[in-house]
Amino acid sequence: MTVLTKPWIWSCVAAAVAYALILGLTSGRGAGELAYAALSFGAFAAIVGLGQMLVITLGPGNVDLSVPATMTLAATLALKAMGTDPGTAMLGLVIALFVGFGVGIANYALIYFLRLPPIIATLAASLVYQSLAIWSNRGLRIKPPSGLADFATGRFLGLPNVAWVGLFLAIVVWVVLERSVWGRWLLATGQNMRAARLAGVPVELVRALTYISVAVFSALTGYLLASFSGGAALNMGAEYLLMSIAVVVVGGSSIAGGNSNVPGVWGAALFMFLVVSMLNSYGAGAGVRNVLTGTIIIGIVIAASTRRVRA
Amino acid sequence: MMISKMLLGAASVAMVAGLAQAESHMADTSGKRIALSNNYAGNSWRQAMLQTWEEVGGQAVADGVLAAADAYTTSENQATEQAAQIQNMILQGYDAIVMNAASPTALNGAVKEACDAGVTVVSFDGIVTEPCAWRIAVDFAAMGREEVDYLATRLPDGGNLLEIRGLAGVFVDDEISKGIHEGVAEHDQFEIVGSVHGDWAQDVAQKAVAGVLPSLPEIVGVVTQGGDGYGAAQAFKAAGRPTPLIVLGNRQDELQWWAEQRAANNYETLSLSIAPGVASLALWVAQQVLAGNEVPKDLTVPFLKITQDTLDESLASTPEGSVANVTYTLGDAKQVIADAQ
Repeated sequence: MTVLTKPWIWSCVAAAVAYALILGLTSGRGAGELAYAALSFGAFAAIVGLGQMLVITLGPGNVDLSVPATMTLAATLALKAMGTDPGTAMLGLVIALFVGFGVGIANYALIYFLRLPPIIATLAASLVYQSLAIWSNRGLRIKPPSGLADFATGRFLGLPNVAWVGLFLAIVVWVVLERSVWGRWLLATGQNMRAARLAGVPVELVRALTYISVAVFSALTGYLLASFSGGAALNMGAEYLLMSIAVVVVGGSSIAGGNSNVPGVWGAALFMFLVVSMLNSYGAGAGVRNVLTGTIIIGIVIAASTRRVRA
Repeated sequence: MMISKMLLGAASVAMVAGLAQAESHMADTSGKRIALSNNYAGNSWRQAMLQTWEEVGGQAVADGVLAAADAYTTSENQATEQAAQIQNMILQGYDAIVMNAASPTALNGAVKEACDAGVTVVSFDGIVTEPCAWRIAVDFAAMGREEVDYLATRLPDGGNLLEIRGLAGVFVDDEISKGIHEGVAEHDQFEIVGSVHGDWAQDVAQKAVAGVLPSLPEIVGVVTQGGDGYGAAQAFKAAGRPTPLIVLGNRQDELQWWAEQRAANNYETLSLSIAPGVASLALWVAQQVLAGNEVPKDLTVPFLKITQDTLDESLASTPEGSVANVTYTLGDAKQVIADAQ
């Protein structure tokens, strides 16, 4: 199996091409600056994308549409609790993760006890989470503690700290998926839930843990993004709904489930940032930009999926 | 402190209301009920708008000027949902509907139904084109032109500008951008070398600017639409570029940043946007229509402008994380009506 047959290669190639095209325009100026920005902003998309990938792997109909609301709620509550006081970063992190955990349990409870399709359950629940975020702070933007803001915007060994967090989580998810029993259970559930159940896989436990994981990942992203951009805003998660799904699909994971792909998520996250930057740099208007972004995404998905059939 | 402030505010509103009743010999509106139809609540501007409505409307009810001033917000920011909401309001028997519309045209059918049922409709910020409704519009194009006019006074030699636009496909975005381009056509020492969409959100603007900066030459000024100036400043800082002259949009984090820059290096700029309190102006205009006063259908509301001289004052009166605001009184509404006549 050569490297070209790997479905994740296409998103990485596309990201590299977009990067090269921007540098072609600037004749190499700003190469480091651009790579740094791509890694910083790509990290947020990558972390929510990893969570969404786990849910999509569960099989047809599984998707978490409460990602933006979870990000907003976790960030709003965490930043409100920290209240810009120094030394409260850990408290904020714990609150954000706790919110994520609670949201995940609530989402899964709706799916399991009320037998709601996940799309409906998470969409309906997201209205509740968004309302809670509005109610708790009425959209006021509280600044993160300066130490936390410095961490979120800072760098270590030349790479953004948020990218290190994203890379670390990607490795954890990869190890869990490829090297642990739980990962095998998840893939088996996604390929055929009934067969997996008959084979003795605790299917409902796997689903519950997956919905909790995506919510915790979203909450962590919300916490980091709010710390990075100077506060939580009510609309901060808006663009991460489609983004989280797009990076999974562009990354080469199967939208039908049962087949996931960790490196592709990172490649796609970088690509999604670079393609917009590229079209902006070339001066494309909003209409042209959206059409071209859509066309390029379709192209990558086709390239990735036909390769897989042949392999 | 809080209570005394609130009492003071309540007292001033009561005084204005009292004055209004004294000077207005038109029909009494104490039995009239007004509803606010709002299409979106998911940002700090809309939250401030709803809060102003609550305060001013609640006070008007307490003072007996109106019987009810209820606010309703749709959850999905869609015209169909808001049309259904308006139909409900007609059935509930409201005398007037004040609305911030999801679309300038898609709600015309529902608005016409309301007019035919004898309900007064006043649209503001997001206005409707249906002729039977009143419109409290903001001259967004003039706001764009004013930004470039200001840059021309500060940077007579001109240079390269970066434009940060709002949400693609929205009327307001097109209007402000049109004004900016008209301004640049007039002051031809400027050239717009880059244009990105920041969706009126700091984090989106920061991301878009960070992505486009490496390909841009030296930038002397950034023209914005509000809610995006702080993000742009962060992106310039992260790229290690000198901070250009960024026109701001009245958000508290932008004003705070401006005050810090002013203290550090005498940074000077201009901030302008629409005050969320325009909802209170719309409330009083609706009240005037209900009172039987002659009110022209098209009214214009001025922008709230913050300059170097008024920065401290505005910063002090804006709650942390919110938007600079003004609450309009009945007197202001009468002034706006008189100006239009």
